[in-house]
Amino acid sequence: MSGTVLTQADIARRKRIRFLFSTLRFALIFISLAIFLFPVYWIAIGAFKGEGEFYHYPPIFWPNHFSFENFGRALTVFGGTQGLVNSLIVAVTNTALVTVFGVLLAYSMGRFKVGGDNLSFFVLSLLFAPPVIAAMPLFLVFKTLRMLDTHQVLFLSYVLINMPFAVWVMKGFFEDIPKGIENAALLDGYSRFQTFLKYVLPLAVPGIVVTALFVFIFSWNEFLFALIFTRSKVQTLPIVLAGMTGGHQIPWGEISALSLIAITPGIILTLFFQKYLVRGLTFGAVKG
Amino acid sequence: MARMIRPATIQESEKRFARLLALPGMIVLILLVAGPLAYMLFNSFLSKTLAAPIPPHFAWFRNYADLFSDGRFWNAFFHSMIIMAVGIPVQSVLGLIIALLLNKKFPGSKIVIALFLIPVMITPVVAGFEWKIILDNRFGPLNYLLGLLNIQPIAWLAKPVSAMISILFMDTWQWTPFVTIVLLAGLAAIPKQIYEASSVDGSSASETLWRMTMPLLRPMFMLVVLLRIIFIFKIFDPVQILTAGGPGMATETLSVLTYTIGFKNFNVGMSAAIAVIQLVIITIIAKIFIAKVMNRTEGRAK
Repeated sequence: MSGTVLTQADIARRKRIRFLFSTLRFALIFISLAIFLFPVYWIAIGAFKGEGEFYHYPPIFWPNHFSFENFGRALTVFGGTQGLVNSLIVAVTNTALVTVFGVLLAYSMGRFKVGGDNLSFFVLSLLFAPPVIAAMPLFLVFKTLRMLDTHQVLFLSYVLINMPFAVWVMKGFFEDIPKGIENAALLDGYSRFQTFLKYVLPLAVPGIVVTALFVFIFSWNEFLFALIFTRSKVQTLPIVLAGMTGGHQIPWGEISALSLIAITPGIILTLFFQKYLVRGLTFGAVKG
Repeated sequence: MARMIRPATIQESEKRFARLLALPGMIVLILLVAGPLAYMLFNSFLSKTLAAPIPPHFAWFRNYADLFSDGRFWNAFFHSMIIMAVGIPVQSVLGLIIALLLNKKFPGSKIVIALFLIPVMITPVVAGFEWKIILDNRFGPLNYLLGLLNIQPIAWLAKPVSAMISILFMDTWQWTPFVTIVLLAGLAAIPKQIYEASSVDGSSASETLWRMTMPLLRPMFMLVVLLRIIFIFKIFDPVQILTAGGPGMATETLSVLTYTIGFKNFNVGMSAAIAVIQLVIITIIAKIFIAKVMNRTEGRAK
C-alpha cells in the first residue's frame, strides 16, 4: 500500500472490474435459481393448464388462460380430498405422538445423559437406517394384529421414522439451555418436574416447534410405509398421487394440481423457517 | 428453603427422575424396533415366502449366500454406489459454487437462499413426477429446449444409461441446495479477520479460496458426504415414481430392490437378509459419524 498512488484512471478501472464481477455474480445467481426452481414452476403452471395444453407441442410455458378445472377434478374424481383429509389426520396425530414422547426422552438424554453413548448410538442408527428395511417385519406384525389399512398403522409406523429424528434434534436444543437456570429453580424449592415444566420447557419451545414442523412435513411427505401398510380405505396424498398414473393416459393436469397442494406445506416451512432448516436437515450437527 | 441434602441423594433422585422421563419414549421405540428387529434377524435364516403356501423352514445362511451370488443384488448395490460416486462430487462442487455466490449478503439474499432450498423439502413423490414430466420425450420441456439447439429428442427414461442420468439429474436438483446451505453455515462461521489478513498479505481471491476457505470448510464437506451417503441408501420414493427401477433393472437401487424382493416377490427370508446387510453398513456409518462429526461439535459446546 505504502508509496503507491492511485490515479483517477486506476480507480475507474477498479470500479469497472468490480461492477463487471458483481453483474456476473448476479447473473449466475439468477440463472441457477431459475434452473432449480424450474421443476416447481413447471408443476405449478401445469396445475392451471387447460385440457390438451399438457400434450401440446411446443410445450406451453405460460398458459393463455388459467383454469381451475384440474383442481376440481383432482379433488373429486381422483380422490384428492380423501387423501388430503387422511394426510392431515395422520400427520397431525403422528406429530403430537412424536413430540410428546420425543420431548421427554430428548430432555432426559440431553440433560441427564440417560443411556449414555449406547442410547445415543442406538437413536442415531435408527435415524440413519433406510425405512424400507423395517417394512417387512412391521408388515407381518401389523398383519397379524389385523391393523393393515387403518389410520393407526400409520400413526405407529411413522413414530419409527420420526421419533429418532425428533429426539436427536430436540436433544441438541435442550443441551443449549444453560444448566444454571435449573439449578436456581431447584434451590428455590421447585421439584424437578416443576422445574422442567416451568423453566426448561418454555425456553425449549422454539426448538420443539421447529422439530414438530419438520416431523409434520416428514409424515405429510411419507410414501413407502403408506404404500405398504394401507390399501384402499386409508390413502394419503402421496398414495393418491402415485395411483393417478394407473389409467391409459396419464392425467398430468390433475397430477400437477394435487402435487401443488402436496408441496405447499413444505414450501411454507422452507420460506418461513429458513433459519432452522440447516439445523434440522443436518440432524442438529450444524447449529446454523 | 435451605435443606440439607447429601449430594449422593441428589444424584440418586436425579437419576430416577431422568429414567422416568425416558421411559415412555423408550418403551415405544423398543416395541417398534426390538421386536421387528429380532423377527427380521430370525426370518433372514428362514426359507420363507408369502407367494406360495410353502411352510417356512430353517435355511441357515442360504439367503445370504444366494444374495451374494445374485447378480441383481450387486446390480442394485452398484447403482447406489454410482449415485454416490457421481452425485456427491457433482453436488458438492455445484453446492460450493452457489454457496460462494450467495455468501456475501445483498438486499433480498435471505429470500433468494430460501427459494433455493425449496427442492430439499418438496414431497419426494412430487419430485419424481416433476422430473417425469420434464423428461417426457414428446411433450417435455427439456427435449424441446434441446431441440432448439438441434439435438434430437432423447427418450430419457427408456434407455438404461440415460435413465440413470435422469435419476442423477433429479438427485442433484434436490440435494445441491442442501450442500449449499450447509456450506453457507460453514462460511458464516469463518472469522472475518482471516480474510482481512490474507488480503493484507496480498493473496489473490483464488489463493484465499484454496489456502484459507477450503481447509476451514473441510469439516462441513465431511458432514455433507456422510449425510448424503446415508440419504442415498434411503432413496426410494422419487426413484420408484420416476423409473420404478427400470427400464428392466437399470436404475434399481438397494432400497428399491429391498422393496421389490419383499413386496413384489414376497420373499420374506431374502428381504430380511438384504435388510440385515444394509443395517450392518448403516451401523458402521453411524459409528464413523459419531467419531468424525458428533464428538467435534460436542467438543465445541464445552
